Amino acid sequence: MPGGEEGRGGAALAELLVAREVERFLIHEVGLLDDRRFEDWIELFAEDGIYWAPAKVDQDDPWEHVSLFFDDRELMTTRLARLRHPRVYAQIPHSRTSHTIGNVTVEPPDPDADAYDASARFVMLDYRPGHGQRSFGGRYEYRLVREGESFLIASKKATLLNCDAVHEAISIPF
Amino acid sequence: MLVNGDLSELVTDTRVHRDVFQDRAIFDLEMERIFARSWVYVGHASQVPEPGDFMCTRIGAQPVVMTRHSDGEVHVLYNRCGHRGVKVVAEEQGNARRFMCMYHGWTYDTNGDLDFVTQPEGYPEGRQPDKVRDGMGRVARVDDVCGFVFANLSPDGPGLRDWLGANAICLEDLADSAPDGEVEIRGGVHRYLYRGNWKFQIDNLSDMYHPAYSHESSSRPSGRQFARRKGDKGGILFREKRGRVKSMDPLGVSALPNGHSWQGGLPQIENTSELHREYVARLEARLGPERTREVLTKTRHNVIFYPNMAMQELNPHIRVIRPVAADLTEIFVYPIGLKGAPEQMFREQIRILNGTHSASSMVQTDDVEAFARAQEGLSTTGNEWILLARAGEETVDPETGRVSSIGTSEVAMRNHYATWLSLMSRA
Repeated sequence: MPGGEEGRGGAALAELLVAREVERFLIHEVGLLDDRRFEDWIELFAEDGIYWAPAKVDQDDPWEHVSLFFDDRELMTTRLARLRHPRVYAQIPHSRTSHTIGNVTVEPPDPDADAYDASARFVMLDYRPGHGQRSFGGRYEYRLVREGESFLIASKKATLLNCDAVHEAISIPF
Repeated sequence: MLVNGDLSELVTDTRVHRDVFQDRAIFDLEMERIFARSWVYVGHASQVPEPGDFMCTRIGAQPVVMTRHSDGEVHVLYNRCGHRGVKVVAEEQGNARRFMCMYHGWTYDTNGDLDFVTQPEGYPEGRQPDKVRDGMGRVARVDDVCGFVFANLSPDGPGLRDWLGANAICLEDLADSAPDGEVEIRGGVHRYLYRGNWKFQIDNLSDMYHPAYSHESSSRPSGRQFARRKGDKGGILFREKRGRVKSMDPLGVSALPNGHSWQGGLPQIENTSELHREYVARLEARLGPERTREVLTKTRHNVIFYPNMAMQELNPHIRVIRPVAADLTEIFVYPIGLKGAPEQMFREQIRILNGTHSASSMVQTDDVEAFARAQEGLSTTGNEWILLARAGEETVDPETGRVSSIGTSEVAMRNHYATWLSLMSRA
């Protein structure tokens, strides 16, 4: 029946549109970090939103094991306000970063919560003048909630390939 | 440089020569004369709770394995095969009935004894490998205080309790601050590195002069640092009204024999959370109100166990200093669980430690920046010395040999280099 064909096509199209919308949002989100628009970056998180970078492979609990980052909005604000301080010596001169995102996958939406689970692969280059350029990479996992025409981040988890390595100081979120 | 000359020329009453931080030959000599002859912190017994459990670490530059043998005893083994010297254990931690060398399949018991040699017929009479001599080899001495395991590669010199002196009390007090009277290491490890000498970290741990300057960016317009514990009403006060730096002199600093030291406890910040009240109630049930008050009044902040460990009670953790080269150091930070305390307290500890002691911490990143800049600055030749002259009135406790002074005194650093020189001068 043509109507059924159309319905399936419609659903596929809707799915595609959401996937594209999510991908654009994620590109925007990591771009804010590269542009050092830290305050705007925090605004993308829901009131109870979480940014988490585990320190162990397959870490599923941020409370039972240490993490590289495990920030609620309050801690994000403290951390990123520090980056604005004129005497934040660990970042004088400050890092330049470049986040690239790919392999974006969006799970079918959770209709009750109007939420989307998305995952992606990322590479972040971090160059601080006078120091070698570092590359970080791994997997992002997001839970996004619909907010008008856009989304809010309920949680962002960035698992580095070398999350359990002995790192030099890290200042900019992945 | 001066290594073949007189080492005593490198340390004066108030100055230390830059070679002490820069020279590779001195670093090698430190591995031999300090790390291979002192009681070096290895790990906590709770990291190898079951027979067969093992954990790899290093003593100075040497890889070792801490194991729990089938009889329950904790051993520290050199991580090498008795045959051709290949490092036997490659995993960071785990459980094994025996260790097998990858090269020719020799196996070892978890106490390091040689268990089995493959194709034994190849060793004629009189040439058979010996169970002990050709085993992995146990380090000369292993001892512990409250489960904190230390090892000494040398059979000579003082025992652990004599080496630690009054510092042993710090470990006992830490254990006593757990409602069950025991602590454990759990929750993983923060690891970071810096491009500077390992002794910068030692000196920084007794330095109450730097926080308001180095860590200024972690304070708020109120002049206070962020709170270090859930429920605390604000953090350390850096600056008073009109921006005047709040001196940490009243907190005091103590220098102990053998290079150890501790900082006086930070001013007590009221904690009124329900969680804290629950913890206090559990502590009182075992200790009674008087000892509980004593345990909760933190009289020490960072405590240095020379040469490679520091503990902190406020947000309990152990910091291990791992020298890699004259200009490269790794720091491993382990949270400590207080057994019997509310689980939520440990979770908050983990959360705070992420902010203060991870590779992306808001505090340590300033310190490691200072260490790397010190390494670079000391490559200059215009001035060959660093200056450790800050001092205040000093009092000596005749029983323990503990010298205490004002918080920003550099007495602990002078004490450190006096110990350093004495250890380095023994041929």
